[in-house]
Amino acid sequence: MRLKSYLALLPVLALGACSSGDYRLFHPANLIAAQEWHATIVDTVVMLLIILPVLFMIALFAWRYRKGANAAHDPEWSHNTLLELLVWGVPFLVVAALGIYSIKTIYAVEPYNPGLFQKQVAADPQSVVNVDVIATDWQWVFVYPDQKIATIDDLVVPKGSVVKLHLTSTSVSNDIYVPQLLPMIAVMPGMRTIDTFDTPDVGSYTGFGADFSGAGFSWMQFATKIVTPAQFQDWVQKVASSPNELSYAAFQKVAQPQVNMGAKISYFSNPDPQLFHKVIAAAQAGVVYPVSDALTKSIASDEK
Amino acid sequence: MHLQFPGPWSPLLGRLTLNAIPYTNPILQGTFVGAAVIALLVVGSVLYFKKVGYFWREWLTSVDHKKIGVMYIVIGLVMLFRGFVDGLMMRTQQVMANGPHASGVLGSMHGFLPPYHFDQVYSAHGTIMILFAATPILTGFQNIVVPLQIGARDMAFPYMNALSLWLTTAGAVLVMISLFVGDFSAAGWVGLIPLTELPYSPGVGVDYWMWAIQISSIGTTLNAINMIVTIVKMRAPGMTWFRLPIFSWTTLSTNIIGLTAFPVLGVALALLGADRYLGTHFFTAGMGGNLMLYTNLFWIWGHPEVYFLILPVFGILSEVVPTFCEKPLFGYVTMVAATFAIAGVSWLVWLHHFFTMGAGPDINGFFSIATMLVGIPTGVKVFNWAFTMYRARITYTVPMMWAMFGLFLLLAGGLTGMMLAIPAVNYTVHDSVFVIAHFHCMVLLVVAAAFAGVTYWFPKLFGFKLSEAWGKVFFWLFSSGTVVVFAAMFALGFQGETRRLDWTYNTAWMPMLLVEEFGMLLYCLSLAAFAIMLVVSIRDRAKNRAGADPWGTSRTLEWLTPSPVPFYNFAMTPQVNTRDELAWRRKHGLENAKPDHYEAIHMPSNSGLPVIIGGLSAVWGFAMIWRIWWLAAISILAIIVCVIIRSFDKNEGYHLQPGEIEAMERDLATGMITSEQPDRSHNNAIHAEAH
Amino acid sequence: MAHQAAPGANTRLFHPGYEGHSQISARTLGFWLYMLSDALLFTALFAAYAVLDTPMNAAGGPIASQIVNPVEGFWQTIIILASVTSYSLATVAMKNGNRSGTMLGIVVALVLGAAFVAFGFNDLASLAAQGNGMDRSGYLSAYFVLILTHALHMIFGALWMLVMLVQIPRYGFNEMVVARLLNLRMFWQFQATVWVCVYIYVYMIGA
Repeated sequence: MRLKSYLALLPVLALGACSSGDYRLFHPANLIAAQEWHATIVDTVVMLLIILPVLFMIALFAWRYRKGANAAHDPEWSHNTLLELLVWGVPFLVVAALGIYSIKTIYAVEPYNPGLFQKQVAADPQSVVNVDVIATDWQWVFVYPDQKIATIDDLVVPKGSVVKLHLTSTSVSNDIYVPQLLPMIAVMPGMRTIDTFDTPDVGSYTGFGADFSGAGFSWMQFATKIVTPAQFQDWVQKVASSPNELSYAAFQKVAQPQVNMGAKISYFSNPDPQLFHKVIAAAQAGVVYPVSDALTKSIASDEK
Repeated sequence: MHLQFPGPWSPLLGRLTLNAIPYTNPILQGTFVGAAVIALLVVGSVLYFKKVGYFWREWLTSVDHKKIGVMYIVIGLVMLFRGFVDGLMMRTQQVMANGPHASGVLGSMHGFLPPYHFDQVYSAHGTIMILFAATPILTGFQNIVVPLQIGARDMAFPYMNALSLWLTTAGAVLVMISLFVGDFSAAGWVGLIPLTELPYSPGVGVDYWMWAIQISSIGTTLNAINMIVTIVKMRAPGMTWFRLPIFSWTTLSTNIIGLTAFPVLGVALALLGADRYLGTHFFTAGMGGNLMLYTNLFWIWGHPEVYFLILPVFGILSEVVPTFCEKPLFGYVTMVAATFAIAGVSWLVWLHHFFTMGAGPDINGFFSIATMLVGIPTGVKVFNWAFTMYRARITYTVPMMWAMFGLFLLLAGGLTGMMLAIPAVNYTVHDSVFVIAHFHCMVLLVVAAAFAGVTYWFPKLFGFKLSEAWGKVFFWLFSSGTVVVFAAMFALGFQGETRRLDWTYNTAWMPMLLVEEFGMLLYCLSLAAFAIMLVVSIRDRAKNRAGADPWGTSRTLEWLTPSPVPFYNFAMTPQVNTRDELAWRRKHGLENAKPDHYEAIHMPSNSGLPVIIGGLSAVWGFAMIWRIWWLAAISILAIIVCVIIRSFDKNEGYHLQPGEIEAMERDLATGMITSEQPDRSHNNAIHAEAH
Repeated sequence: MAHQAAPGANTRLFHPGYEGHSQISARTLGFWLYMLSDALLFTALFAAYAVLDTPMNAAGGPIASQIVNPVEGFWQTIIILASVTSYSLATVAMKNGNRSGTMLGIVVALVLGAAFVAFGFNDLASLAAQGNGMDRSGYLSAYFVLILTHALHMIFGALWMLVMLVQIPRYGFNEMVVARLLNLRMFWQFQATVWVCVYIYVYMIGA
């Protein structure tokens, strides 16, 4: 793999005496993560092209012109027009190159509508799987509006699709993140953001909230599974058979501040078809799910 | 009218009850005992040695820019220690609370800090390090060095200078009080919105955070005005703009940033305060609030604040490197241009703190490019320092070693900063510890420069050098600790660890978390080395007595004054003939030239009002935090009365007579220390006369 | 800086008789810088107002055109400009050394300033009485806080004027009193300028 050959360039690896398998960002699992990892490497290489020579130059001067080395000493030299043009010019060229590269990649990975998938989506609109994601204090609710099911802390999607997450929050801001798979995007109450990822291979991952959201934040993981389309259909059937329905009233209970230690999964059938919009409208109308000091103090502690 | 908040309220004590004092928490019990013992030792020794009058006269009421600078740095170092202990607790918690089976102690399920405490610790760490450690330390250097470098007797507004110091101190005091009375904010040093709103942070923590910053940032704004006016108006004759030392240039640029950025922070916090106290809807998710408005306002201040910190650091490096290279700084003019280029661009990059907000690719693209532009002038600076070392004669003293380490950190921070400036990369590491490691490269550059500055200018103020040997031990321990902790943190970023985790659920992170903890151990050892360095240096002070120019190769005006600098700075105002005046005088054998006569010097009188206003501000902040309205009203009225009293104060200082100056200069030349000001600010004062 | 001049016979190393800077010019520059920071404070408040001045941020409550009264605001504008004019006349009297004229001008400026603030508070109080207080919506929060911040500045200026009314008879026109009177003029004119911005942006465009 081409990516593998880049790895050797990373001095960071020298630190990783343990297996590089733990370095999840080194092993992107889909196109969008690969593109972003590629950008990381390109940027690092271009920057090292300038930083390594500078480091070498500093080390050389530092050794060569140390006091007592009897090297040439020029106590007046402090100006050279050509050199000064060069010290502006070289960083300028590097920034220009990286700037152009940055703009190009932004469009490729833009979370709302990544350039990477535009062809696939245009050719096969059926391959898009929509999931509404609602962050609560402190769980993730995934609503599949087309499949008419909902889960807590379980994101299951079929292989070969483009998954479009529509995100909002009931209470405070958060950030959704699945390393190797899903880039970060802010999740905010009263607003909707979008994040997109592709699913080339089956696999299991862990996603989590990345932006601090209060005392239960450390426990906001969710399971992320890419399964074959057949398995996905079976899974949808299974969830749809759940006796628990997710009406708006039922959702309000789920949204009460609570820590789901171990990220236990729950399934719901027949979610309110307008649930996502109702959550946004409620937040805009000033509905809050207050977190009391007593609750905060009791989380993962025996303090009351 | 005040908003409904949970919990009791009484007219006399507001929200304050006995339960607010966390006397059951063993960690805080220990801290309290430690703090009480130190306080008793300090107060006791002051009383025992009958130094109360001395402290009041010479320090608390001082308007001398050097003493104010020293007090800024002392406060900064104390807060740096507090912030370090917070960091140590965070690192230790993350190692102890790794994986689902991690056990807990002291009432915590995992590790020793439940989220309720951990979240306060990490919020306090950031707030303290940025606003109450780095800012005061750098402000202290500016206070000490700039008037000396430009050949001035004092700051433009010595009284306001003292006021700035005591307002900053009031903020720091509030942060410290939050340890023992109530809680600190658990919503990050940035005040994550809407987590800081009343429904999600019903306690007093956010109020402590908000008022402490608000009060100290008024001090910072006043200080910025003072610095700009000092540099514009008070340069010695012959000190043209292009003879101005680089540190003074960076001070000018950084305070222009401070002056224009801090009001925006003031507004952001005041509007948040309105939400919490008056029930407005500026940043609420509902009722027509806009939470991204807060995030934008905060970072419109927050990013310039980063350069507010880093520019004086570049200034310190630009003083230290040429001194120990025995050469002028390479590319002085480009250095000044680069400084102002960074200051200018600093206003255009704030959105890169939230590339993941969901803004379109055009907006993110603009801010990506703007952010990268900062890399150009920063690159110029690195090249300039590197070329200063070309054909130099480098002495590796402690300040120079810190400067070299600073360069290394700048390159590491620059490399990773350019990565984060690319949104495609940013999306994968935005809220991960990779970002934490990146900005710690930059803030530890601030710390490295601070220690370079402390070692470099210490003899100027105190008349003796710090121990080189222990300084080097301290340097090696601290810098290797830094490398170990943050290299491991970069690695953890690539392993997908995100920020602010009380419980680190992934066991694969354990090896790197352990490496980080080992780095913290090096930091702890370095702390001991620092303490030993101070003790040894004070013990051997007679041996390490410093002359006017203890390094022998300094280049700027501050080294023309005797060490320690007498309170009037220059016996006679110097005439500046060239850039790097002292190096020029030394080259031509003129560095010891003395004026042939002395003239009377006009000095400002000390004043107790600044420290009183600072104290009242702390009381006011405390009253606002606990919603004790009567106390808030009384203290704000008292502050206004103090300001009015000051405007009726006709004491315009006193004159130091030529004979006195001559005697003091003679004493200084023979090594007698005369940094104490004669106590005559009142009996010999000049009174303004009504025309 | 390749070639630095060598010291010659005319080279001076010290500057005897150096008077240093003038206190007044330093204070004036300092005060301008303070006003720059104050201008940024209002800029941030205007930015907040602009962001929250949408029907959505009114959250079902009134929008700008339903609460602002450009005619009433016009009279407020006239009052504040009259106050500034009166203060300027006071400083003209000061240049002529006319103490009572100066004090009269300041008193008139002070009364007009108080009238302006009273108008503003009256407006806000009647809005709040209708249930449209600052806690009604994001838009009203921005409106109230913008007006109140300006009013607080006016009150601070009025307090300053009161102090000067004591200092002028007590000290006469000495250096510090004159400097304070001139800085206060800048401050007062600046507050009027801010109000004109408020009037144009909030009252005229809003209506």
